[in-house]
Parts: sequence; C-alpha cells; structure tokens
Amino acid sequence: MTMILDGSNGITMPTWTTANRPTNPIIGAQGYNTTYGGVEVYNGSTWTLVTGGPAFSAYLSSTQSITTATTTKIAFDTKIFDTNNCFNTSTSRFTPNVPGYYQINLNVQGSSSSYSSMQIYQIYKSNNPYVKSDWRYQSATIDTGSGDVSSLIYMNGTTDYIEAYAYIVASSSPTVSGSSTTQISGSFVRGQ
Amino acid sequence: MSKNLYEKIITIYSDLTDADFMPHRGTIHLQNDSDGRGDYIKSWTHPTHAQPTQEQLDAVQ
Repeated sequence: MTMILDGSNGITMPTWTTANRPTNPIIGAQGYNTTYGGVEVYNGSTWTLVTGGPAFSAYLSSTQSITTATTTKIAFDTKIFDTNNCFNTSTSRFTPNVPGYYQINLNVQGSSSSYSSMQIYQIYKSNNPYVKSDWRYQSATIDTGSGDVSSLIYMNGTTDYIEAYAYIVASSSPTVSGSSTTQISGSFVRGQ
Repeated sequence: MSKNLYEKIITIYSDLTDADFMPHRGTIHLQNDSDGRGDYIKSWTHPTHAQPTQEQLDAVQ
C-alpha cells in the first residue's frame, strides 16, 4: 500500500476492501475502501467511513389499498436512485451495507372513501417501530391526510434494515396514495 | 364478501374500539407485511379479552 503525491494528479491513497483492511492500523490511518466506495479512517478501535456511503430514494407508484386499523407495510416499488443498490423494491426494504448513522425521511399521503379518523405513519427498524408521525382525528369532512416522519438512525451495515408502515382508521376503503405523495429516502450521514 | 381480520375481531368482541387497535397505545396490533400473507395478529395483550382462536375467526361470516 502506497500513497502517491506527484504534484499533478491529486493524492492517491492506499485502497483496500473491507475484508482486506490493514491488520495492525494506527490511529489516524486512512485509505479508500472499495467495498464501501469511500475514504475511511481508523479511530483506534474501528474504521469509520468519512466520505461516500449509501443514499436512496423510492416511491409508491400506484395507490395501495390497506385494511382499516391494520398496520401495513408501504410497498415502495419504484426507485428514483440507489447509489449502493441497498433498497429492494420486492421487499420495500433498505438494508445499508455501511455501518453508521443514516438520515431517513418518510412522506405519506393516506385517503379513504369515507372520512378518516386516524392516520399513523411509522419508520420501522428491523421489524420494530422506531419513530412515527403524530396521530390525528380529522374533521368528518376530510378524507385525505398526510404524514412526514424523519429520524437519524444507526444501522449496523449488515443485518439492520428500514421499512415504512401505514395505519389508517376509516369506515371504508383506506388507501395510501401513489406517485410523488408517498416517498421514502435516506442517506449515510457519518460512520460509527 | 368475506370479512377481514379486523372486522372478524370486532364481530367477536363488539365492545372493542379503535383505541384498542392503535399502534403504541392499543393492546391489539394487527399487521400486514405486504408479502402476500395478508393481515395477522402481531401482538395481543388486551387485559380482559383473550386472543380469538383461528376456529373462532373462521366461524365469523
């Protein structure tokens, strides 16, 4: 592993994969991790990615029907971008491959053919509720509502994953609206 | 048209309200993971009503 300073082509850092990192690094050691696609620094106990990392955005392409009073996973089926291929549209699940803290954002619009008395939107981490929107009782003349949820969430880079769930109480035909009104996005913020 | 899981539970226990099913506050949590398996009871900790058996649910028309 070498660092190259030739005065014209920038600094070329040592590169490695996650599996082939230096075996005895000292504090402050840094290099380009080709597995993660970014520069990482050794802090004395672990490697921390300081550039790059996964980012994604996806949306629900068409209206999704759900059962009243039943917490239902939102089936995000269309990706806008997915830098590290960590979002699976078959499972609507984001499983980042880099450990660290992620900003996750959820925007949902719910509707029903009758008035909706309650709408709750939640970000789940690894099959457990993590953060939710405020629930509400709406006016009897309103049948559409929306919720925005965001949080900074630690992910271990291997088994942790993110999903989104909707809960709507309505006397008939509750749905989650498709297209730009129902989206999820996230981005790596910093390493562990 | 057959009843969904929520409607079957309400039929068995007619005194239940929407508050009983609320995420975080309620004691009955119904979930659907959008994986084709449909609605299911994720947790049931209601203080007085026992979780209905599959036979009870199947008997509701």
